Amino acid sequence: MSPLHELLLQRTRRHFLERCSLGLAGMFLAEARGAKAPENPLAPKPPHFAPKAKSVIYLHMAGSPSQLELFDYKPELINYNGKECPPHLLEGKRFAFIKGVPQMMGTPYQFAPRGQAGAYVSELLPHFSQVVDEVAIIRSMTTDQFNHAPAQLFLHTGSPRFGAASMGAWATYGLGSENQDLPGFVVLVGGGNNPDAGKSLWGSGFLPSVFQGVQCRTQGDPVLYLSDPEGMTRTLRRDTLDALRDLNELQQQEAGDPETAARIAQYELAYRMQVSVPEVMDISKEPDSIHTMYGTEPGKQSFANNCLLARRLVEKGVRFVQLFQWGWDHHGSSRREDIRYDLPHKARMIDRPMAALIRDLKQRGLLDQTLVIWGGEFGRTPMRENRGGSYGQFVGRDHHPYAFTIWMAGGGVKAGLNYGATDEIGYYVVDKKVTPRDIQATVLHLLGLDPYRLSYLYQGLNQRLIGPTDEGRVLHDLLA
Amino acid sequence: MRFWTLLPGLALCLPPPAALAVDFQRDIRPLLAKRCLACHGPDEHSRQANFRLDTRDGALGKTGGHAGIVPGDSARSRVIVRAQDPKRPMPPAGPRLTADEIDLLKKWIDAGAPYEKHWAFGKPERPAPPAVRDARWPQNEIDRFVLARLEKEGLTPSPEADRHTLARRAALDLTGLPPEPGVMKAFLGDPSPKAYERLIDRLLASPAYGERWARVWLDLARYADTQGYEKDNRRTIWPYRDWVIRALNDNLPFDRFTILQLAGDLLPSPSEADLVATGFHRNTMTNTEGGTDDEEFRDAAVKDRVAVTGQVWMGLTVGCAQCHTHKYDPISHREFYQLYAFFNQTEDNDKPDDSPTIKLGETTTLVMRDLPADKQRRTRIHERGNFLNPGAEVEPAVLSAFHELPADAPRNRLGLARWLVSKENPLTARVMVNRLWARLFGTGLVESEEDFGTQGNLPSHPELLDWLATEFMRTDWDMKAILKTMAMSATYRQSSAVAPALLEKDPRNRLLARGARFRLDAEVVRDQALAAAGLLSRKLYGPPVMPWQPEGIWMVVYNGESWITSDGEDRYRRGLYTFLRRTSPYPSMITYDAPTGELCTIRRIRTNTPLQALASLNDPVSMEAAQHLALRALREAGPGDAARATRLFELLLVRPPRAAELERVLQLHRKATAELHGRAAEQYKLLHYDQFIYPRDREVVLVDDARGAAPAWRYTMDDPGEGWQNANYDAQSWKTGRGQFGWHPKMPAEWKVATNWDSEFLWLRIEFDAAQPLEDLKFLVRTAGAFEAFLNGVPAAASLLDRNGYYEYRVSPEGAAALKPGRNVLAVKASRIREKENGGQLMDLSLRGAVPLQPGAPTAEQAARAAWVVVANTLLNLDETLTRR
Repeated sequence: MSPLHELLLQRTRRHFLERCSLGLAGMFLAEARGAKAPENPLAPKPPHFAPKAKSVIYLHMAGSPSQLELFDYKPELINYNGKECPPHLLEGKRFAFIKGVPQMMGTPYQFAPRGQAGAYVSELLPHFSQVVDEVAIIRSMTTDQFNHAPAQLFLHTGSPRFGAASMGAWATYGLGSENQDLPGFVVLVGGGNNPDAGKSLWGSGFLPSVFQGVQCRTQGDPVLYLSDPEGMTRTLRRDTLDALRDLNELQQQEAGDPETAARIAQYELAYRMQVSVPEVMDISKEPDSIHTMYGTEPGKQSFANNCLLARRLVEKGVRFVQLFQWGWDHHGSSRREDIRYDLPHKARMIDRPMAALIRDLKQRGLLDQTLVIWGGEFGRTPMRENRGGSYGQFVGRDHHPYAFTIWMAGGGVKAGLNYGATDEIGYYVVDKKVTPRDIQATVLHLLGLDPYRLSYLYQGLNQRLIGPTDEGRVLHDLLA
Repeated sequence: MRFWTLLPGLALCLPPPAALAVDFQRDIRPLLAKRCLACHGPDEHSRQANFRLDTRDGALGKTGGHAGIVPGDSARSRVIVRAQDPKRPMPPAGPRLTADEIDLLKKWIDAGAPYEKHWAFGKPERPAPPAVRDARWPQNEIDRFVLARLEKEGLTPSPEADRHTLARRAALDLTGLPPEPGVMKAFLGDPSPKAYERLIDRLLASPAYGERWARVWLDLARYADTQGYEKDNRRTIWPYRDWVIRALNDNLPFDRFTILQLAGDLLPSPSEADLVATGFHRNTMTNTEGGTDDEEFRDAAVKDRVAVTGQVWMGLTVGCAQCHTHKYDPISHREFYQLYAFFNQTEDNDKPDDSPTIKLGETTTLVMRDLPADKQRRTRIHERGNFLNPGAEVEPAVLSAFHELPADAPRNRLGLARWLVSKENPLTARVMVNRLWARLFGTGLVESEEDFGTQGNLPSHPELLDWLATEFMRTDWDMKAILKTMAMSATYRQSSAVAPALLEKDPRNRLLARGARFRLDAEVVRDQALAAAGLLSRKLYGPPVMPWQPEGIWMVVYNGESWITSDGEDRYRRGLYTFLRRTSPYPSMITYDAPTGELCTIRRIRTNTPLQALASLNDPVSMEAAQHLALRALREAGPGDAARATRLFELLLVRPPRAAELERVLQLHRKATAELHGRAAEQYKLLHYDQFIYPRDREVVLVDDARGAAPAWRYTMDDPGEGWQNANYDAQSWKTGRGQFGWHPKMPAEWKVATNWDSEFLWLRIEFDAAQPLEDLKFLVRTAGAFEAFLNGVPAAASLLDRNGYYEYRVSPEGAAALKPGRNVLAVKASRIREKENGGQLMDLSLRGAVPLQPGAPTAEQAARAAWVVVANTLLNLDETLTRR
C-alpha cells in the first residue's frame, strides 16, 4: 500500500484524532497535498545551528521613549540647557515637528551608575536599576526612519512600508512552535491604542498567513471568537463538533479529499484552544508573591499583566511574544505628552514589571533560553521641541532617528554589558553603531537561524527579514 | 498554493514527464535560473567572472580561460568541470548539484546546448486542438487539449457532477453566491440539453456576477477605504469600486477595461466614468504623518504603480528591477525607470487632501491627472532604488525584449495601456485567461499567476493556455464569453470526487482528470451564510458599510473614528461592501485569507487554521446567520423533523441530505433538544441572537447630545469646590447652555459649538429620568480634551485621550449600579489637555442604554426550535459548506 493511501485510510479512522489529541496540530496546509503527507508548518523545525534562545519576548514601547531621560546620561547637555541648537546639527535635517532653531535641553532627572557593571540608569527606573547586571544596554541604536509607522515597520519587518513579514512570523516560519495548542506567535497590546503601524507589525506579509501573530486580548475574548456564543453550552459545543466530525467523515468517504481530514483536525484544535488559551491567559492563580513582584492585578489591562502573560506564554512553548505598549510619544504639546508630567508615570508603569520579568525568568531557569528585548522605534531629540516654532507651557522632545537606546537580556546575550555610545550631547552615535537590520540579524542568529539564509521566494526574489543587501550584521560582541 | 514552496525539492509540481529527452524549457532553464543566474545572469552588477549563462552567446564565452559550454562536448565544457570540481564546486554556496542535475546538463550540452526563448515571451500561436480517442467526451476545444493529455497518461476523465453540485459550483464561481431558489428550480426542472447553458447564461447576466469579479479585480487594485500608514484616514474611492462592478456587468472588453483604468483621463474628452476608472492607481497609500517628505511617498506610489502594472497585466516581477537589473528576466534597471517615466507625470503629490479629485454629486473621489506640459517632471534612474540618489535621465519607453511601441503612439500612460493590450503583447491575454481559469479551477494553468517570467512555473497545458489566450483576443477580449467557454467545458463539469489511485497519481489535479475542490473565499463564506439565512441584502453600490464586528478592533492612533455598526440591510450587504481599513481590516475576513489592501494580491493563499474554525463556529455574525437559517427552515419546511433537516440542507448546500447525513443531523437535534430542556436563558438567546448583538435596536437615550435633542445643561467654568458631582449638589447658581461646548482659535464650522468654553476646566450637570432598568450603558463622547463623568456622584467613565468623533465609553459597573429609577444626575468635568493656542477644546456627550431582554419560561417547543439553531450552526461549519466542489 502506498504511504498516501495509508495516510488517507488512517485519517478517516476515528481513533486517529483521539490518538493524536495531544499535539496533532492538524494539517494546516490547504494546498500542499501530494505524495508527501501534508506538513504542519507550525511543527517544530530544526534550526540552522544550535540556538542560544528558544523564545523571544519583545517589549516595544510605541511612540519611542526618551533615551535621554532613561538610559543615555548626558551631563554636558545640561550645560547647554536653553541655548540655541548650533546650525550644523540642523542643516539638511528633517524633523517631524521642530521648526526653525530649537533650544538644547538637558534631562531634569538624576542618573547614577547601577550594579556591578556601573551602567548609568535614570532615577525613573529604580527597579530596573537593580537588574542591570542581567542586561546588555545598547546606547548606539540608529534608524533611517523618523515617523512612527515606517520606523516601527522597519524595525519589526525589515521594510519601512507595509507588506513585509514581521520578526515573529519569520521566527515561527523558520522554527515552528513548541506548543500546538497555542499560537506560536502571540501579540499583546497595551496602553489603549494599537501601535501606529497597526496589525501589519505582526502580519505575515508575503509569508503564509498561518505565521501571522495572534493577538491575545486581556479584555473580551482573549483570542477573537474564542468563546462559545451566547446560549451555546459547552455540552452543545461538544455535540456540534461530534456531529460535524461525523458529517465531514461522510463527506470525505464520498469525495476522498485529504483536505477534509485537515479541517476536522483544525476544529478539534480550535476546541482545545478554547480551553488552553483562557487557561494561559488567566493570571489569577499565580501566587501573591508573583503578583507583588510584577505589580499585577488580575482582570486589569496593564503592562504588568502583559509581562506576566509573556512569561506564562514562553513557559508553555510559545516561540515569539510581542508586546506593544502605546503612549511614549512625548512631544510636549500637552500634559500627557510632557516629559515632566507624563514620562514619570509611564516609567513607573513599566519599571517594576520589566524588572520582575527578568527576575522571574531567571528564577525559573528560563532566562538563558528566552531573549528579552526592550525599546522604541527611534529616539528623541536632545533639543526641546518647538512645535509651530514657539514654546508653550509643556516640555518634550521630537523624533530623533540618529540615536536611541534599547536593551536585551537572556537568550545568549552577554549580561551586564554597556554597548556603544553617543556624543556628549547624545545627538549622534560615535561608537559601535547598531541598526535595526543588525538587531534582526542578531535575533535570528540567537534563535539558531542564519539571517542570510532564512528566506522566502516572493515576486521572484528571495525575501529576507534583513532585506536584500547583506548590510545587517550579527552583533558578535553582544553574545555571551 | 504558495505553501507548495514550503516543501523542499518540489519546485515543479507536474507529474514526471513521460518522455526522457532533455527539454530546455522544462529541465534546463529552471535549473540554470535556480542555481546559476543570480551570479551569471542578466544583471551585470552582480555578474561574476564576466560570464553569463542566460544567453547562448554568453554561455559559449570563456570563463577561466575555457569555454563555459562547448556544444556537443560536455566533457570539455567548463560548466560541467566546475560543477564536478571536488574542491571548488559550482555553485559555490548551497547544496551541490545532484548527479541527476549534472546528468541533465551533460545530455543537453551533448545535444548541442540549444537555447529557446522563454515560452511566455513569444506571441501565442493558435494551436489546433489535438485529436482524441474518446470523441464523445469533449464539449468544446478546451476538453480536447485536456483529454489528449489524459489519454497520454492513461487516465480517463471523471464523470459529470450531478445537477445540484453543478448549479452550486457554477453559481459560486460566477456570482460568488449560492444559486437562488428560482434559478435552481428552473435548472432542475429543465429537461432540455440546453439546460446547463441556460443556467450559465443566467448566472453571467446576474448583477451578482459583476460583484463577484469586481472582488477578484479589487485584490489586484489593492483597493481599501483608507489611506494607509499611521493615520490611515478614510478616503472616498468606492466610486471606483462601483465602476469596476458596472464595467464587468456591462462586459466591457478587457482592452477597454484596461485603457480606462490606466489612462481614462488621457482619452479625448473623457466622461466622468472614464475618470473614475483611473482610481485603479489612486489606491496607492498616502502618508500624512508630521514631517513626512512628500516626495518620498510620491516616489513609493509611482514605483508601486509600475510594479503593479507589470504584475497585473504581464505577470512580470518588474518591481525587482527598481534597485538593479532583474536577475532572471529581461528587465534592466534602466527600463524600470523608463516605465516609471510613464507614471511620473501625475499630479497627485502625496498631499493629505488626496487631490486630484472630481465631484460626483455629493461625493468627491480620487482620479488621475497629468501635469500640464510645461510642468512635467524629468525622470532619472534611482541608483540602488533610492530616490535621493538620482542617476542618468531617461525617457518613457517600453521593455525592449517585447514588441515595440508604435511610432505614432503617445509617450504617456495611454500609449503604455494600448501597448499592454496590443495583440502583439505575448503576455497580457495569457495572464488574464490564466487568472480567470484559476478562479474557476482553483489553480492556474500557470500556477505562479504572479510570475510568467523565467522563475515562474511552466504551464501544465501550454497549448490550452495559448488557445484560450488567442480565443480571448479573437473575441475582442470578451470576458463573459471566455468564462462561458470555460464553464461549458466537460473539464469544468467533472465531479470533484477522487479515488485513491487518482489521488496518488495526480494529487494536485494538475492533469484535470477531476473537478476542482477548494475552500471558498472569505467574502463568499460570509455571503453564502447570509444568503442561506435569507438575510443577504442585494443592494448594489454605494459607500462602504459596517456590519457587526467585535469591540476593540479599531484602536487607531490619532484617528477618532470608531466602527459604528450600520443599520437595517446595510448590516447584511455582500462582503465587498464592508469597510476596509488597511491597518484594521474586518477580522473574520482576514482570518479567511482576504487581503488588507496594502499590497497588490495576485492570488490569495488559502490556509486552513483553527482560527478559521473559531470564527465560523463563534463569530456572532455566523451565529446570527444560524439563527435565521434555522427559523427560515422551520418556516418553509413541511411538518416533521426530517422535513426541517432536509430544508436546512437545501437552503445551505443546495441539495437534499443523504440518508446517513439526515440520520446524524436528527440525532444532533435530539441531543441538543435534551440539553436545552428547561434552560430558559439558552433557549431565548439562541432564538433571539440578533437582539444580543444589536443592543442599539433596543436603545434608550437618557441624555442626548448636540446631534439630537441637545438638552440644556447647567455649567460653570469656575471651580465649584468639593461635592459638585453629587446628586444632591445645588447648581442653581451655574449658567445654562447647550452642547457642544468649546473653543478653537479658528473655530471650524464642523465643530458646531453652541456654548463658548475657553477656560482650562468645565463643569457640567444635568438631571434626567430613568423609567426602567437598562443594560449596556454607555456614553458617546466627542472631545478635544479629557473628561470624567459621574452618575449620581459615582465615577462612571473617564478618558485622557482626545478623540475626533463621538467615541464610545462604557459606563463602569459602579456607575451603572448607581443609576436608579426616577430622577438621576449626570455630572461631567472636562479639561483641555493642550495649551490654549495649540489646538482647541471641545465637549459634547450623550448617555445611552438598552432595554434588557426578558426570557420567558422554558418550553419543550422552544427547546426544539432552539436546537435547530444549534444544528444550523453545525451545518454552517461543514467542510462541504466551506468548500466549492
